[in-house]
Amino acid sequence: MDIAFLIESLAKVLIVLGFVLLGVPLIVWMERKVLGHMQDRIGPERVGPFGLLQTIADGIKLFMKEDLVPAQADKVVFILAPAITVITALVALTVIPWGDQVTILGRTVPLHIADVNVALLFVLATTSMGVYGIVLGGWASNSKYPLLGGLRSSAQMISYELAQGISLVSVVLLAGTLSLAQIARQQAHMWYVVPQFFGFLIYVISGIAETNRAPFDLPEAETELVAGFHTEYSSMKWAFYFLGEYANMMVVSGIAITVFLGGWHGPVLPSVAWFLIKLTLFLFFYIWLRATFPRLRYDQLMGFGWKVLLPASLLNLVVTAAVVAL
Amino acid sequence: MIPAPVVPLVCYQILAAILFTIGVVGVLVRRSALIIFMSIELMLNAVNLSFVAFSRQHGTMDGHIFVFFVMAVAAAEVAVGLAILVAIFRNRDTANVDDVRLLRG
Amino acid sequence: MLIPAFLFAMFAGVAIGCAVGMVFHRNPVHCALLLVGVLLSISGLFILLNASFLAALQVLVYAGAIMVLFLFVLMLLNIRGESPLLTRGAAKGFGILFAIVVFVELLWTVLSPQVEPGGMAASPSVPRSFGSPAAIGRVLYTVWLYPFEITSILLLIAVIGAVVLAKRKFG
Repeated sequence: MDIAFLIESLAKVLIVLGFVLLGVPLIVWMERKVLGHMQDRIGPERVGPFGLLQTIADGIKLFMKEDLVPAQADKVVFILAPAITVITALVALTVIPWGDQVTILGRTVPLHIADVNVALLFVLATTSMGVYGIVLGGWASNSKYPLLGGLRSSAQMISYELAQGISLVSVVLLAGTLSLAQIARQQAHMWYVVPQFFGFLIYVISGIAETNRAPFDLPEAETELVAGFHTEYSSMKWAFYFLGEYANMMVVSGIAITVFLGGWHGPVLPSVAWFLIKLTLFLFFYIWLRATFPRLRYDQLMGFGWKVLLPASLLNLVVTAAVVAL
Repeated sequence: MIPAPVVPLVCYQILAAILFTIGVVGVLVRRSALIIFMSIELMLNAVNLSFVAFSRQHGTMDGHIFVFFVMAVAAAEVAVGLAILVAIFRNRDTANVDDVRLLRG
Repeated sequence: MLIPAFLFAMFAGVAIGCAVGMVFHRNPVHCALLLVGVLLSISGLFILLNASFLAALQVLVYAGAIMVLFLFVLMLLNIRGESPLLTRGAAKGFGILFAIVVFVELLWTVLSPQVEPGGMAASPSVPRSFGSPAAIGRVLYTVWLYPFEITSILLLIAVIGAVVLAKRKFG
């Protein structure tokens, strides 16, 4: 526990935090731009070159808005809920390896904030804590539609967490470790998406459901629930939910890349560049899905999670285990 | 090798005892079945803490295994217990244990 | 040297504070949240005791699954805080008296030197793999294999039991 280690860790924390805070407006811009072009529109273009500063302007607008707390709301929980969403997402980002280790001033620096030996479990644990942000936000608003949105999301996230966890276990069987840094390092020659293609599919589907994105955005289905769990939220608290959602997308993409898509491995370019390229492509995939698929009905969603995804992931696990044992 | 922990075992044991006692108070004095349930979870966790502390003290994994089993049993217990609670609430519209006394006549 | 002691004091303080709050808070959702606070601080204590796997499991299973189930039921049934908060009459006094007796007994057991010789002495150092998933798996699938299998049956029974109990009766 020397001073250099402390400084190094602090620097990495600040860099990742800055990346998230700068990256989220960029992703939002990308989402609006891509959605626009997919729907034969232009998307934002007025603020800054190519509308790049549109999200910043929106952020400033949100900052200036009146911060409403409903009179009958549970004040403490109402304020706590969006913070939980953001904190859990940020904490999960700490174990994702952003690149190979580099040497700075004669010091070998691994490009992840913490190499926990149970990193994969750690990520699952923090994402499972993320449910609280949404459920509590829905409950604390003391209003019908947010409560329904919150209940929906808790049921949805509990259901899809199982399939997600089990699909990751299959990779753990192959890798023989729970450490994300080691899993990434093992994929120099073959990405785990090749032997675990079904696991990858299951992970991506349940990951999208976990982040409440289209076509699984039932908790905030605007046609039925106004805006779902964040109906009563305004100003910066609402912006926090937004930040949390996009940071969670980064977490799910980061895990998918690290576990299935070869992590930071790639030819020619430096490792961090490869990670960022893959991250951008994955986020583009997210947006593409949103533009393509209509929202599922709620009973379809639950039925799909329990009757298709969970048995499929279990089958995948059993087959993988059998192959590994042979 | 991981060096010996700074905080002695007995501190963990005392903390576990305090948490267990708070759980006992919750079970005995609260009326809501859900809070009683939560208090039981608290007691289980106090015991878990004590198991892990002993395990660390002796340098064996057996305490960890026990905690693992306790967690599994607690999950099963919560699933069934909450189902019973939902059934009671549907039939009698209350979750308070002293309102559910059909057997007493 | 000072950091682990400070962390222990912090986690212990949060755990005790949240536990007391849980027992004496009226709103059941707040009680559930306070219990989550206790569970998270116990998870922190697990890390201090080098039980990293159990710490992750504690958050994942207890705080992430079991307590969400609690919250779900609380919101589904819309259970309000009971009033009066505590049981009526003699049961309350008896309960607190009993709790004090239990506490004295536990302290007696913990502090008596016969039960744990060297209880006050520093713990031995352990290998780096202590508490890792591999170490737990090695013991769990060899020495404790039969209890492990029985646990899976228990969980299956619990799943079926929960479905049967919570299902509305047909007709």
